[in-house]
Amino acid sequence: MLSFKILRSSNWASVHLSRQYTTKAKRVVLSQDQSKIKNYEPKTTDAHANRVYVWGFQETGALGLQTNVKKAKERYTEMVHHPTRLQFSNNNEITDVTAGYGFTAYAVKRSDGLTLFGSGLNTDSQLGYQVKGNKKDPANLDVIIYPTAIQLPRLQGETDEDMQVKSMSAGRAHLVVLTQNGTVFTMGNNSYGQCGRSIIEEEKYSGSALINRIAQRDICGADDELVAVECGQDHTMLLSKLGRVYTCGWGADGQTGQGNYYSAGQITLIGGDIEKERIVRIACASDCVLALNEKGDVFGWGNSEYGQLDDAPDAVTQICTPRALTLTKGLGKVKDVAAGGSFCMALNDQGLVYTWGYGILGFGPFVEQTSKPQHLLPPLFGRNDFSNATTVVSIGCGVFHMGAVNSDGDLFMWGKNRFGHLGLGHKKDQFFPFKAAINGKVLKVAYGVDHTIALCKPHI
Amino acid sequence: MYNMEITLALLKPHIVRNTYAVHQLKAQMESNFNILAAKDLRVTKELSECFYVEHKDKFFYYRLTSFMQSGFCSAFILQSESCIQKWRQLMGPTKVFKAVYTDPNCIRALYGLSDTRNACHGSDSTVSALREIGIIFPEFDISSVNNQSKVINKCVHIKKA
Repeated sequence: MLSFKILRSSNWASVHLSRQYTTKAKRVVLSQDQSKIKNYEPKTTDAHANRVYVWGFQETGALGLQTNVKKAKERYTEMVHHPTRLQFSNNNEITDVTAGYGFTAYAVKRSDGLTLFGSGLNTDSQLGYQVKGNKKDPANLDVIIYPTAIQLPRLQGETDEDMQVKSMSAGRAHLVVLTQNGTVFTMGNNSYGQCGRSIIEEEKYSGSALINRIAQRDICGADDELVAVECGQDHTMLLSKLGRVYTCGWGADGQTGQGNYYSAGQITLIGGDIEKERIVRIACASDCVLALNEKGDVFGWGNSEYGQLDDAPDAVTQICTPRALTLTKGLGKVKDVAAGGSFCMALNDQGLVYTWGYGILGFGPFVEQTSKPQHLLPPLFGRNDFSNATTVVSIGCGVFHMGAVNSDGDLFMWGKNRFGHLGLGHKKDQFFPFKAAINGKVLKVAYGVDHTIALCKPHI
Repeated sequence: MYNMEITLALLKPHIVRNTYAVHQLKAQMESNFNILAAKDLRVTKELSECFYVEHKDKFFYYRLTSFMQSGFCSAFILQSESCIQKWRQLMGPTKVFKAVYTDPNCIRALYGLSDTRNACHGSDSTVSALREIGIIFPEFDISSVNNQSKVINKCVHIKKA
């Protein structure tokens, strides 16, 4: 090859030719018509503002990733370890998500007026009356594998806009939805009165078409309005604009805060230390409840068996009247709270995440128990020299795991990795906050018992 | 040669509503034990007061009984060698929040939701097994299971009460 090159280089003409060729080619590029250069426009796969990622246990159908039972059997996976984009969210504008025990509900904006969809376990009709087959021989569906419409019963004159979801929350086997016109819809299990109606002994919840409608004026009166709902596993709490809290459901641990330990089917205003406070947020994943007032003080009631609410030597483990917490006194102004099964979390206005109670609190390779709130270091949540303004903006937790979202829209998870619901790509427990790989900015996270749903905004 | 024991296994209401969990637990029972009797029942107030009489003064007594009343339970009479111990081993520690870390593959860690909603129950001794079977399966003739003379391999399903 080399010898050939030397031979050829003695030929002046050929060298000249090749040089001319190169410069000419350059010139051609430079003089190219700029208008003909194609401008790259990134293609977005769908025009919707939000997208949804799901992961965790999928045998219950809660992830809604399957469209076909046959296909699901072929590609059998019991759990999904990685955040996976939900096909349903490509076709629908999803505005809100919530997760219960083995089921998920989606608030949707659609042209046909349907506003609520759900998938997962439906053995207590927590996703409404869902049947297949013909009218003569309907088969009740215990498990719904793909998000299916839940029809909210309308009064005459109620528009699609009225039926848009304002807030919703799911418990172990019940779903509570608050619509824009201030109507509360409850469905599913009512064995403790968590649906806000009287308890019927031996009621059959499977295949039930009953959706309970409650007008907000019947709960909080005409001069106040409901703004949010929050469900524990077996109880329901409603928050009003004036900062009042109304509850119903199972109170055996005091989680209804009604001053007793009974089950209550009647939605009741609760008092105690929050009586004169303007509550702006309530959080509960299981039986322990935290509430936050507008000044940033923390209140709590319900289960405290792991010292979450009170660490005094003579502390009671079941607190049935809301009380101002002394444990959180040194945290400064608290912006957000979250309560899991055996632990609690708080976020203060410095962006510091505090955890306490029993479980994997995020401080290292041990399961620990402490009643003293301690904060996790900001670098764990994405703060570094290049983005030193990054801070945690919201926190949340399920019964066994915790999560935090930072100002860049990244989700960090840690705790018990039940059925892979931390979304970290493995099944091992995670002892400190770790970023979940999600292709979008996280807006809201619904923490289920064994699955997780994240509502996200595309990066572009 | 045979040291067959019997025990009472109870799947609690929240598990009975989870079709996948029921399926898994039944398979686990069938592979480990002879199921002598099975039925779905509602643990009424009277029944649970009788059943949990030893917990009467505990702080969680009302919580436990009201939970048990909240829906159908599935009850089984299981039989095998050292059955009581074996079933308790499969269930794992009572407290779910601790079981998920100390014994992550047991039934309670996988399907329990809280220390009360702890998925299942198992008798703790021969005496309490007989007592509990008497409460849940009053129609079951315990003398028919003579642990020395015969081993029942067949699964007897008693119709829903």
